[in-house]
Amino acid sequence: MDVLSNLGVGFAVALTLQNIAYCFIGVLLGTIIGVLPGIGPVTTVAMLLPISFTLSPESALILLAGIYYGAQYGGSTTAILVNIPGEASSVVTTIDGHQMARQGRAGPALGIAAIGSFFAGSVATLLIAVAAPPLAAVALQFGPAEYFSLMVCGLIAAVVLAHGSLVKAIAMVVLGLLLGIAGTDINSGVRRFDFGMTGLADGVEFVALSMAIYGIAEVAYNLEKQQQTSIVSGAVGRVWPSLADLRHCVGSILRGTSLGAILGVLPGGGALLASFAAYTLEKNVARPPRDFGRGDIRGVAAPESANNAGAQTSFIPMLTLGIPGNPTMALMIGALMIHGIAPGPRVMTDRPGMFWGLIASMWIGNLMLVVLNLPLVGLWAKLLRVPYRLLYPAIIVFCCIGAYTINTKPFDLFVMAFFAVFGYVALKLDCEPAPLVLGFVLGPMMEENLRRALLISRGDPMVFVTEPISLAFLVAAMLLLIVIAAPAIRKKREEALKE
Amino acid sequence: MRIRAPKDFWAGVMFCAFAAVALFAARGYSLGSAGRMGPGYFPLLLGVVLAGLGVILMVRSVVIDGEPLPRFRVLPLAIIAGAVCLFGLAIEPLGLVVSLAILVVLAAVAGLQFRLVETVALAVGLIVFSVGVFVYALGLPLPVWPSL
Repeated sequence: MDVLSNLGVGFAVALTLQNIAYCFIGVLLGTIIGVLPGIGPVTTVAMLLPISFTLSPESALILLAGIYYGAQYGGSTTAILVNIPGEASSVVTTIDGHQMARQGRAGPALGIAAIGSFFAGSVATLLIAVAAPPLAAVALQFGPAEYFSLMVCGLIAAVVLAHGSLVKAIAMVVLGLLLGIAGTDINSGVRRFDFGMTGLADGVEFVALSMAIYGIAEVAYNLEKQQQTSIVSGAVGRVWPSLADLRHCVGSILRGTSLGAILGVLPGGGALLASFAAYTLEKNVARPPRDFGRGDIRGVAAPESANNAGAQTSFIPMLTLGIPGNPTMALMIGALMIHGIAPGPRVMTDRPGMFWGLIASMWIGNLMLVVLNLPLVGLWAKLLRVPYRLLYPAIIVFCCIGAYTINTKPFDLFVMAFFAVFGYVALKLDCEPAPLVLGFVLGPMMEENLRRALLISRGDPMVFVTEPISLAFLVAAMLLLIVIAAPAIRKKREEALKE
Repeated sequence: MRIRAPKDFWAGVMFCAFAAVALFAARGYSLGSAGRMGPGYFPLLLGVVLAGLGVILMVRSVVIDGEPLPRFRVLPLAIIAGAVCLFGLAIEPLGLVVSLAILVVLAAVAGLQFRLVETVALAVGLIVFSVGVFVYALGLPLPVWPSL
């Protein structure tokens, strides 16, 4: 019954007029940027971080979360109608979704994507409500050694699932950790890595760093790609799938939801991985294995359910452990810290209204998204006519205003320019920025836990191996590294991650 | 000795450069001991690991074949980065309206597809939107007009 009373608290928070409004703005923005290729949820959340400072923490999280799962809905619209993914997580939806659109079945494809997403979103919301309290209770027992090892394990797992070279990804994590600990050391008062600049006394501003990488550097990178003008297929038609379609998809939606929910919880997981895995699974288990690749509705239902489930369950480690599994979650932790809330297992007990309010808002947001997406899909399709040359100056403008207002400090714009150049070079050298951002967020926490663990053990590093839970995390991290370094699996992973 | 994977090689160089800067900057921070970590302990640890990873990348790049360097298009990036810095310099003395006008025009120039009327319209639209939403609706502390 605890779950019910907790959700009651949550709905009381989420159903205030103000929070309903922020939830609506969040999912609306999420849908729009989901539809638009070239701008994703990470960029948008980064751009809105400074604004969220002016809201209450509850409203801020509700707004930012809405963008993330709203984008999963919007992304499928572009994937189905234009054959280019509006979001990375709807890449696989293009395969069967666009084929359906070509056969004049765009309506049912969009419909099943929305229905699957709604079902998955509702299940994932319940799952968070059930799974989060026991997980947080376990995490409360963790000492510094356990925490340090958990972070090592989380970072390694995130790296393993990143694209491309393992060495580069680990190097990006380490670089992120180094950048994260810049600024005044809380224990000794020494200003680290300020290079004599007062602007760096408080370290590198997280908002400036993330907007530089996910906003400005991405713009510079995208400007090089040839802008393809693609044709939106004509009428969308009836969006409600037929009963036969629905019956056909029940299994796919269920499988997609479960797989997505599990993969969302893992570090490095979230919507992107979930959709790929669900499509692969569906191709292997769906009976009869009719027409995958030629417009099978199950090829839309499974990944679209999975990406929404994954988007939502990825909040579990962020909310209960304070560990971000993907860059969007890292930004959420940034949002918490802007409001002076230390992320970790105590958030749930110290701020039940915020915690349960966020969860309740996800269900409300999913409901809004179905209403927004099904009848209005024609409107979203029109958005696709907005050319990138009108979009990217707006991104730059919002990033600049955001970087300035976060501390009213012109210096942060120079920081942003520097990391924009760095981010572009990194992208060009195939160094994924996601591990860097995760490392940046975890840097100070990792150092603090390492310090405390070694203080308690009087400098004996064996403490990480003698504590059983800590050992388990480290062994898990080692196993992940060994498994991924094995050539056979390595090849498989490259195939799976290939877009 | 030939570099067979230029992308990896230069990534390695980049990481080593960052590590070198970090280790150099951290040389004055006291190390402390493992039981009582000073401010220099963790940075030293990370710097050494980062340098090691950079070296691995460089060594590997002369052994294993890899991708060639892609073309870097410096000009758009330089214009955008410059425009961001300029915004930082302009926002306090010149205010939001003027700074945004400069920013949007430079951003449009960086796209190498410059259309005058469209850019002016976009600049006006973004300025009106930003002043309306950020200054009036959200009350963010932004100067709107030049302070004389």
